[in-house]
Amino acid sequence: MMKIDVTVRRETKYIAVWVFLLSLFMQAVFLIIGKWDYTVLLGNVLGGAVAVLNFLLMGITVQKAVEKSEKDAAAMMKTSQSMRSLLLFITVILGIALPFFNGIATVVPMFFPRIAIAIRPFLDRKKALEEVKKDGE
Amino acid sequence: MLELAIGIILGSCALGAGIAMIAGIGPGIGEGNAVAKACEAIGRQPESKGSVTTTMLMGCAVAETTGLYALVIAILLIFVAPGRLVDLLMSTIR
Repeated sequence: MMKIDVTVRRETKYIAVWVFLLSLFMQAVFLIIGKWDYTVLLGNVLGGAVAVLNFLLMGITVQKAVEKSEKDAAAMMKTSQSMRSLLLFITVILGIALPFFNGIATVVPMFFPRIAIAIRPFLDRKKALEEVKKDGE
Repeated sequence: MLELAIGIILGSCALGAGIAMIAGIGPGIGEGNAVAKACEAIGRQPESKGSVTTTMLMGCAVAETTGLYALVIAILLIFVAPGRLVDLLMSTIR
């Protein structure tokens, strides 16, 4: 079995934690607006799981690609991106077509990794400031 | 006449979905280029592999979101828009 790189594992963990937190927030929003039912939960689980899986697969591809030549790496990433897009396409179709998944609750979690990445610079800056404070003491 | 109008609506939605998916090409090319350059950078400075991989992973995820937006728009155009537009047409006729 292939060993997953420490960097990929760490970043996937970060994304998974944020997807979970943002999913909780989304569930709360559905509860507040009074549109919550079991389909929202199932859709959220499906969308969130696929978002994290997509990121993990991308990480594994990057891990493999950096060990290859430039041309092979570029080709490998393009193929992987096509395959992952297909995975997302199938998931969104399932989320919209099947009655036990809420379409919106399936699609929205797929954008959570992007939000997690947008939040990251603020967290890093906070950590850096704390380290500077510690060094000062 | 009504059939023609419905046909135009369905055809336009399908065309729109196809055009939206052109945006799906960009992330593939972008990610490919990013990883190729990362290979070059790691080859030059192998000790920076961790930080280069982290930055690249985040960059790839951001790039991929564009494709995802296009995918969602295309799916909405295929599954949601035709029904709504045909309903609108019917209500206008009545």
